[in-house]
Amino acid sequence: MESANSNRPVVELSGVSKVYPGPPPVVALDSVDLVVSRGELVAIVGPSGSGKSTLLHVMGGLDRPTSGDVAIDGVDLGALNDKGISGLRAHSIGFVFQDFFLMEGVDAVNNVAEGLVYRGLGRRERRTRAVAALESVGLGHRLDHTPAQLSGGERQRVAIARALIGDPAIVFADEPTGNLDSATSDEIAELFTRLNAGGSTIVAITHDLEFAQRFPRMVSLRDGRTVL
Amino acid sequence: MRSRLRPIDLFALSMRGLFARPFRAVLTSIGIGIGIAAIVAVIGISASGRAALLATLDDLGTNLLRVTPGAGIFGQAADVPEDAVAMVARIGPVEDVTGITIVDATVRRSDFVSKLDTGGLTVVSATPRLLEVIRGDVADGRFLEDGLKAVPVVVLGSTAAERLGIRSVVPAVRVLIGDEWFGVTGILESFPIHPDLDRTVFVSYESAATFLDGKPEPTAIYVRANPLSINDVAEVIPATVAPEAPDTVEITRPSDALVARKAADETLTSLLIGLGAVALLVAGVAIANIMVMSILERRMEIGVRRSLGATRRHIRLQFIVESMALAGFGGLAGVVLGAGITVGYAANRDVMVSIPMAGIAASVGAALALGALAGVYPAVRASRIDPAEAVRR
Ligand SMILES: Nc1ncnc2c1ncn2[C@@H]1O[C@H](COP(=O)(O)OP(=O)(O)OP(=O)(O)O)[C@@H](O)[C@H]1O
Ligand SMILES: [Mg+2]
Repeated sequence: MESANSNRPVVELSGVSKVYPGPPPVVALDSVDLVVSRGELVAIVGPSGSGKSTLLHVMGGLDRPTSGDVAIDGVDLGALNDKGISGLRAHSIGFVFQDFFLMEGVDAVNNVAEGLVYRGLGRRERRTRAVAALESVGLGHRLDHTPAQLSGGERQRVAIARALIGDPAIVFADEPTGNLDSATSDEIAELFTRLNAGGSTIVAITHDLEFAQRFPRMVSLRDGRTVL
Repeated sequence: MRSRLRPIDLFALSMRGLFARPFRAVLTSIGIGIGIAAIVAVIGISASGRAALLATLDDLGTNLLRVTPGAGIFGQAADVPEDAVAMVARIGPVEDVTGITIVDATVRRSDFVSKLDTGGLTVVSATPRLLEVIRGDVADGRFLEDGLKAVPVVVLGSTAAERLGIRSVVPAVRVLIGDEWFGVTGILESFPIHPDLDRTVFVSYESAATFLDGKPEPTAIYVRANPLSINDVAEVIPATVAPEAPDTVEITRPSDALVARKAADETLTSLLIGLGAVALLVAGVAIANIMVMSILERRMEIGVRRSLGATRRHIRLQFIVESMALAGFGGLAGVVLGAGITVGYAANRDVMVSIPMAGIAASVGAALALGALAGVYPAVRASRIDPAEAVRR
């Protein structure tokens, strides 16, 4: 099994810069080199405007760098067209957002199952796997609840289950606890730790240093550069 | 590793998008619904009318000719031989023939009405055969009969009866023609293709001769002929009825008037369908508008879908199918409404309902095509939304 090879890089950034073409132009990322290996749990911290979200989007193929190279799971994104990167997102990448971004009026199972829609899997299989994913985030008892019937922490768990359902090579979370109180944030941190122990590779942005310190690795960003 | 969206999931996705805002969906598709309803109703009513026309033509036959030894250049009628009718009857393919003669007299309800006031009604001598030749029906009483001959009685055309205020045949009812009182023995149904006969009061030739100084020469002749030879018959009639002045003979085919009227209706129908098409176009623009608005609102959803692996094409398809569904539902509702209008019309006019399936299929198809077309621009815009931008808070 490949999981034995825990040092294999899942994300490789080399000399990645991102300049938003103003006016005035904003250098959001400035020659970032970063490697995230399989099985890692990484926190990205930094002040507001330091380029965290931009970094996450570039790593996850939602955005293209202005210069530099990005590879996911050994695939060079620069060599892929939009369709190819979309395929990569469907199969190898999961996203979790601060605002959850769930479908209102749709129950938890179907929200999670939506994570497999662009893989062309059948409805029944999507559903079975969605139930399993919800159980893995501790929401086995909330399958039929709509987002409006769930607490903030529960909603974020649903979103995490949606990111995990396809068993991606890596999950990116942008401020996953930004809308949650500290007790709930702790639970999410614990969940990430547990999922990571189960084999998931996770990169999470956070403002919350306490949250970040529970992670084995922390990357600090300042003015678009990584600092040690 | 490719993104794949199964068609059934694409459809479900689009439906979900639609039903997430049901009120808006209904409002948006109303335009399409009305446009399609108008077109279907126009098609249906016109088709039902056509069916009714064919039934009427079938009933009345298209093989009837009306021959009038027309007015000469100076307005005087050509001399018509007294036995013109008998001569026409001798033409081979002629199946049936009868003449009528205008009587120079006015018909009144009483002495208090001036003798000069025609009331728009004509007094005509006719034979008992007339009704059969032109395939008319009696509404009340009887038509002229052989036994009545020189008795002072009349039969009224439907409009004539109405104008004289006579609704039914009762023994006491009389009308004054010239200075003679006539009993009323019958009232006719209106003739679909002989409106002039509706305004006519019929007397027998014998009565006309006896009481009204009526003449025997026909002023109009109705000829029923073998449909296959109808043109040949029309060709030889002028020389037969007016050997001296065949050019003054006018021959018409009363059923032609009905066909012509229908043709005029048909022009109107095309015009209405054109208007319906314009309404559809406007509705299509409205759909495109609403879709663009909806896409601006749904940037976040689009961003999330892209992050889940949707390609630009998947996003495009989702919104095009949504737009088609929007228009399709409107179209279906329109078809139901239009069919309802047609059925109501048909019931009201007592004609058979006829809604051409091809017309319905075409209008639903048009609605779907319109939806697809209206969806293209919004869908392309949706697919161009930058996913990284869309998921930023
Ligand atoms: N579309 C854009 N056009 C121009 N500048 C942009 C754009 N998006 C982001 N920026 C700028 O790029 C810089 C980095 O933004 P980014 O969102 O990555 O920061 P961040 O670290 O995630 O901040 P926060 O903690 O507030 O979320 C900021 O200065 C921001 O203003
Ligand atoms: Mg950010």
